[in-house]
Amino acid sequence: MLAMHRIVVDAMGGDHAPDEIVQGAAEASLQLTSAEIILVGDAAVLGRLLPRMRHDGARVRVHHAPTHIEMDEKPAEALAAKPDASIAIAADLVARGEGDALVSAGNTGASVLACARRWKLLDGVQRAALAAVFPTELRRGEKDDPFSLILDVGATVDVTAEDLVGFAVMGSAYAKLVSGNRRPRVALLSNGTEPNKGTVEVIAAHAALVGTTELNFIGNIEGLDIPRGVADVVVTSGFVGNVVLKMLEGVSETVVRLARYAHKERLAWRLGLIALSSAIDQLKSITDWQQYGGAPLLGFSHPFIKAHGRSNARAVTNAIKVAHKSLAGNLCGNIARTMAELDERARRTSRRDGAEASGAMPPRSAGE
Amino acid sequence: MARSLFSRLTSLPVQIGERIGLLDHVPDGLAPGQRPPRHTFRWDLDKTYLRTEFDSLKDLAKNAMQNAADKQAYPGATALLRALHQDGNRICIVSGSPTQMRQVLAAKLRLDGIEYDEFVLKNNLKNILRGRFRALRAQIPYKLPAMLQSRLGAAADCETLFGDDAEADAIIYCLYADLVAGRVSLADLERVLVASRAYDDDAERILELARRMPKHDAVQRMFIHLDRKSPPLGFRRFGPRLVPVFNYFQAALVLYQDKVLSARQVIFVALEMLDSKQYELGHLATSVQDVIRRGRVTRESALQLSEEAGEAATSGALSGRTDLPPFEQISQAFRERVRELGTAAPAAVDDYEQLDYVRLVDEEHEHRRSRRKQGIS
Repeated sequence: MLAMHRIVVDAMGGDHAPDEIVQGAAEASLQLTSAEIILVGDAAVLGRLLPRMRHDGARVRVHHAPTHIEMDEKPAEALAAKPDASIAIAADLVARGEGDALVSAGNTGASVLACARRWKLLDGVQRAALAAVFPTELRRGEKDDPFSLILDVGATVDVTAEDLVGFAVMGSAYAKLVSGNRRPRVALLSNGTEPNKGTVEVIAAHAALVGTTELNFIGNIEGLDIPRGVADVVVTSGFVGNVVLKMLEGVSETVVRLARYAHKERLAWRLGLIALSSAIDQLKSITDWQQYGGAPLLGFSHPFIKAHGRSNARAVTNAIKVAHKSLAGNLCGNIARTMAELDERARRTSRRDGAEASGAMPPRSAGE
Repeated sequence: MARSLFSRLTSLPVQIGERIGLLDHVPDGLAPGQRPPRHTFRWDLDKTYLRTEFDSLKDLAKNAMQNAADKQAYPGATALLRALHQDGNRICIVSGSPTQMRQVLAAKLRLDGIEYDEFVLKNNLKNILRGRFRALRAQIPYKLPAMLQSRLGAAADCETLFGDDAEADAIIYCLYADLVAGRVSLADLERVLVASRAYDDDAERILELARRMPKHDAVQRMFIHLDRKSPPLGFRRFGPRLVPVFNYFQAALVLYQDKVLSARQVIFVALEMLDSKQYELGHLATSVQDVIRRGRVTRESALQLSEEAGEAATSGALSGRTDLPPFEQISQAFRERVRELGTAAPAAVDDYEQLDYVRLVDEEHEHRRSRRKQGIS
C-alpha cells in the first residue's frame, strides 16, 4: 500500500463554498486512492452535502468548525475574531500533525496568515512565497505545460537577496515536480538582462544564483519575456509580483472585452471571430486556470495550495491533486535539501575566501 | 462417506443438466423435521462479495476465464460471511452469474472457507436456447422468484440481504421484503412484473409463489455495497432498513448495533480489511464517522463497540498482532473521529414510506438505458 497522505481542505472558503468544494473533494477521494481528505467546516452542512455526491466514505472525513471567514473580511481582524474559523482549524490540524497538506479557496490573506502563524518555515528559508501560474507562448516539461510560475506574488512585499535566492530554489523544486520539468529555467525579473541591472537585492541575488549548479539559473529577464515563456520560474518580490500578476490579468480581460466589442461592432469582425472560434476555444482550454488547481504557498514545512476564490469542483479536485503530488514528491523535503546544499556551498565559499584573504591557501589559478 | 458419494452421484445429472441449460437448480429446502433457521442472510456475489468487473466485453471475457484463485473477495466480506454463518443461521447466495460458472464460484467460496446452504445461479443458456433474450438482462423476474422459492423452502424469522449498487438490488430486495411482509398486493406485484418486462409464464410463477408465501415482516435489514460509489442519498427513499455501505466494516458496525454481531466478530472483519492492505486504521475510523454522519449508527453504539472491542482485544482477539498499535491507541483514534463531528446532529433517515415500485422499475430501466448509451454496462 502507498503511503497515505492526509489533505486538509477548508470546505467553507471560496465563492462557491461549500457545495463546489465538497464536490471537488468527493471527486478527489475517488481519484486518489492513497489520500485521505479532511473537510473542515460546519459538520451538519458537510454531512448533508457529502451523501449527495459520488465519493469514497472511507477516504473523506469531516472535522467540525463552527465558523468561517468570508472572502471580503480583513484577514488579521477576522482571524482574531474567529479563532474557530474553518481555515484556522484546518491550519491547526496540519500544524499538530493530523494532516499533511492544506488546500483552501477562501480568503487569501487569512489563509496565508493562518499558516504563517502556525506552521514552521523550512530550514534555510527566511520568508514564504506565494506562487502563481500564467500562460505563456512556450511550453515546458514532460506534460507540455503551457504555464510558467511567478513568485512571490504577495506573501513577502519587501525582500532581501537571500529571500530571492530562496524563492528561486522553491519555485524550481515546485516546477520540477508539478510540471515534470527536469531543469526548469529560473530567472530574476529585472529592468534589464544585464547582471548589474535592477535593485540592490536583485543584483546581489543574481551574483548568488549565477554560481549555483543546483538550479538552472538563466539570469535576468524583463517584463516582456514573461508571456513569451523565456523562463519557467520567474523570481521577484511580492510587491512587484503582485503588480505584474494583476497587470497580466488586466491585459487578458481587456483582450476579451475588445473581442466582445469587435463582435458587436461590425459584421466582418464578427465573421472573423467566428472563423477563429476553434482556435480561441483551444487557447481557452490551454490557459484554463481550473486545470492547474491553485497557487502554492512555498517555504513552509507543509504544502499549502491556494485555489482560486472562484474555484469550481474541478479546480478544487485539481488543487487537491497538486497537494497530493507535492506530498508524494516530497516537495518540502526537496526544497529543504537544496537550501541546505546552497547553504553549505556558501559556507565553503566563505571559508575559502577567508583563507585566501589570510594567505593560508594559495591563490586559485585562472583555470580553476 | 457412502451417503455423500451417493448424493454426489444422484445430483450429477442435475449438475450436467444445469450446465447445458436444460435444468434449473432448485435449492433443497429444509429436510422434514429440521428446525427452521433463526436468521437467513441472502448474498449476491458479483460486486457484492466478489470484486467483479463487467463494464465491458473484455471484462466479461476476463471474468469467464478466471479460475477460483484469481477471483477476489472484497476486504472484510469473507470474515463477515463466516461470522454470519454461525449459530445455525442460513446463508443463501443468489447470483446473476451464469450456471456455467458454478464450479469456479463454488471453488472460490470453498477456498475462502465459506459454507453456504443455497447457491442459485442464472440459467442464461436456457434463456438463449428458448429465445428469451429479454430475460438475459432481467433482474426482477430472475432474483425475486429465486428468493421467494428459497423462503418457501426454509422460512427464517429474520432475514438480512446483501446486494450492490450495480444493478437493481435495492428495488428487488425492498420488493421482496414488502411482499413477504404483505405490504405489496398481488395486483401491485403484477403491475411491477409488467413494468419489469417479465415473460408471462415467469410472471405467473412469481405471482403463484407470492400467493403461497406466509406473511411475516422478516426482512429487517438490507445492505447495498456501493461498488460504483453511488451517492448514498439516492438510497434514502428505501427507508432506514436499507443501508448503503462503502465497505464491510460499515456493514459489521450496523449489524453490531442490530445485535447480530458481537464486538469480537466486528474486530475480525476489521482485521481482514487491514490484512488486505487496501485499508488502514484511519480508513476504518473514517468509515465509522461516515455511518454516524449518515445517521445509520449512533455515536453511543460506536462508543460502546469501542469499549466492548477493547475487552475482546484484551481477551485475545488481537493476540499475535504485533503489526498493530495497542488497542487503546486504536480505540482513541476511533473516538477522536466521533469527536471531530462536534455537536452536529446526524442526518435524519426518513421513515419508511410505501414505495411506488412501478415508477422505480421504470426509472431503473431509464437509468440503465442512459448508462448503455454512455458505454457503461
